[in-house]
Amino acid sequence: MSQFIDADDLALLASSFEAAMADAPGPSEADQAMYDLGWAELLASAPGQGAATAFSALGATGSAASLLDDVVANALGAETALQSCCVFPTPHKADAPGRLRGDTVIVDGLLSARAETAVTTVLGVVTESGVGHFAVDAGLLHGPAVDGIDPGRAYRRIVVEIPAEALEPTASEGSWESAVATARVALAHQLLGGARWMLGEARQHAIDRAQFGRPVAQFQAIRHKLAESLVQIEGAASVAGACLHDPDPMLAALAKSLAGQAARTTATHAQQVLAGIGFTAEHRFHYWLKRMLVVDTLFGSASSIPVEIGQHLLSEGTAPRLIQL
Amino acid sequence: MDPETFRRDLGAWLDDNANDLTPPYEGIGSMDAHMAHYSHVKRALFDSGFGRYGWPESVGGLGGSPLLRAIIGEEINFRDLADPNAWTMIEVLAPTVIDFAPPELSARLVPPFLRGDEMWCQGFSEPDAGSDLASLSCRAAETDGGWVVNGQKIWTSFIEYSQRCVLLVRTGQPESAHRGITALLVDIDSPGISYSPIETMHGRRDFAEVHFDDVFVPSDRLLGEVNGGWRVAMDILPYERSTTFWHRGALLHRRFSDLVAQVSAAGNRGDAAAKALGQAFQWIVAFRSRSRDTQHQLAAGEQLGVETSVDKILITSAEQQLFETARDLLPGVMEFDDDLAAALWRNDYLYSKAATIYGGTAEIQRNIVARRLLDLGPES
Repeated sequence: MSQFIDADDLALLASSFEAAMADAPGPSEADQAMYDLGWAELLASAPGQGAATAFSALGATGSAASLLDDVVANALGAETALQSCCVFPTPHKADAPGRLRGDTVIVDGLLSARAETAVTTVLGVVTESGVGHFAVDAGLLHGPAVDGIDPGRAYRRIVVEIPAEALEPTASEGSWESAVATARVALAHQLLGGARWMLGEARQHAIDRAQFGRPVAQFQAIRHKLAESLVQIEGAASVAGACLHDPDPMLAALAKSLAGQAARTTATHAQQVLAGIGFTAEHRFHYWLKRMLVVDTLFGSASSIPVEIGQHLLSEGTAPRLIQL
Repeated sequence: MDPETFRRDLGAWLDDNANDLTPPYEGIGSMDAHMAHYSHVKRALFDSGFGRYGWPESVGGLGGSPLLRAIIGEEINFRDLADPNAWTMIEVLAPTVIDFAPPELSARLVPPFLRGDEMWCQGFSEPDAGSDLASLSCRAAETDGGWVVNGQKIWTSFIEYSQRCVLLVRTGQPESAHRGITALLVDIDSPGISYSPIETMHGRRDFAEVHFDDVFVPSDRLLGEVNGGWRVAMDILPYERSTTFWHRGALLHRRFSDLVAQVSAAGNRGDAAAKALGQAFQWIVAFRSRSRDTQHQLAAGEQLGVETSVDKILITSAEQQLFETARDLLPGVMEFDDDLAAALWRNDYLYSKAATIYGGTAEIQRNIVARRLLDLGPES
């Protein structure tokens, strides 16, 4: 039974999470600091609010902390620990990353920075009897290092084959579907935290930067780009907020897709408003942009989720109301 | 009554009375037919008691949360039982009249509106005062026992079916802007009021141009204070953007569901169609979620303000995206077919083009978000 945390305590948590992540030099230090603050216990007692608070902070600070491993492990009923990580679905997909083929498991997915030091990995595998999840020795999943677009290296792609006998059954009972929904809501909060940060940078720049003898914030073309960004962020945030407890899988999917779209729109507009300085490595904007591009692809993106939703609607022949007064 | 019980009981009643409540008109239906049926449904809901919940007892209601009114309009729109714009006029006008009219006036005039015996209209915009509403010039001069009104209004919906009009007039100096505006509740049968319909591009006569020629309005028809009309106008906006939008959101949801059913039945199951549907759906849901939050703020007695511009931008974007998607996924239907489904898509597609114009244009809304929510300072 999950507890309910009141608004003042949540605000306090949010600021201590942000401070911890902002101060940590790297992802493993950030993970450690979050565990020291009681993150694992929070996730166990109030998973929805805990993840929303932590992932908003993750987005706002641009930290590469590997909190998604804990969220997915917790949703699957597996152990959350600094020595434990998960394999996430391949980019733009939400299917379990492992596929059983005879004596072999083909793993095509993503690993967080925590996988560098983890001992155990939780791996979702599609088998003939459905999706199961297993514990795997993390050493089996070491692949060649690839830089990718994100200088913070929060996630990397892994494509390997491992022997089926390496799969150790677990006693946990969470379903892959509910883990997907939970991860999507958490990631939606991260994308929105990042989008709000980008919007804040662009807003301040528009106020500070003068051209033609006045702040560029006075030009309607710029004002409307920033307004459009805020509207998309608020629309997505409302749906993410509606997913706090035991989210409906479709609503959680929509939250992730909307947050991804809001983050894409905000990144595009913020980049344009930041103009020259936003194209330099000197401004921090590019870190958030690149992280957004990566996080958008996790567990389905703003491009792929609408296809998934639309196919579901077409097979049902109708659209559910989802939200009620 | 809690909202969930109310929804369930109302739904059961609507199902039981479906024969009586389903519109009798074939095809799109004339304005006359729409208005007659609207009155009939409104009266039936009033008599059943459901239509009185959410309204104060002082105007013939049974009290309870305004959420209950939102639920009624939602169910009416999901079931397509009455003209959506007619249904929502009371939500736009009556709460503000109740807030600002002398109690005996609202106790006398609101109940017939609630029963469906009357319709009211809104006299705000003028030919030279659209987005810049504060520049309106329809003038009210003080006279013995009231005012004499002279001038013109435009985009007035339902005036030919209406008995009253909430009218904004200039009572200060011409340059007094929002400080010199007064709100009056005017009887449409007053001598000197004339109107002519405006035919819209979707083939309806929804709006009219209204002329006021020495129209006498007694002094007890004042809403709020003399030169306090801007407050009245601003009070209407949050109501318009909470309950009314919730109703319209339900209509969009139903039309989206219609689209899914038609595309699905046509066997178009490709990923491109699915993606377009998913993208349209996500903004309909985003609006609905945002509007739900707004409804709960209103029900909790919070003052709604400029943040409802976000709701407005979300619903208008969702509406236009929905009908553009319908045009794409039902290829050639609205352009070349004449059956009822095609006529409805054509009607709604064309009407959706007004969404970013009425009730404050898309540009005005973004100006408000930029100034008030993003605190970007004044425009150049």
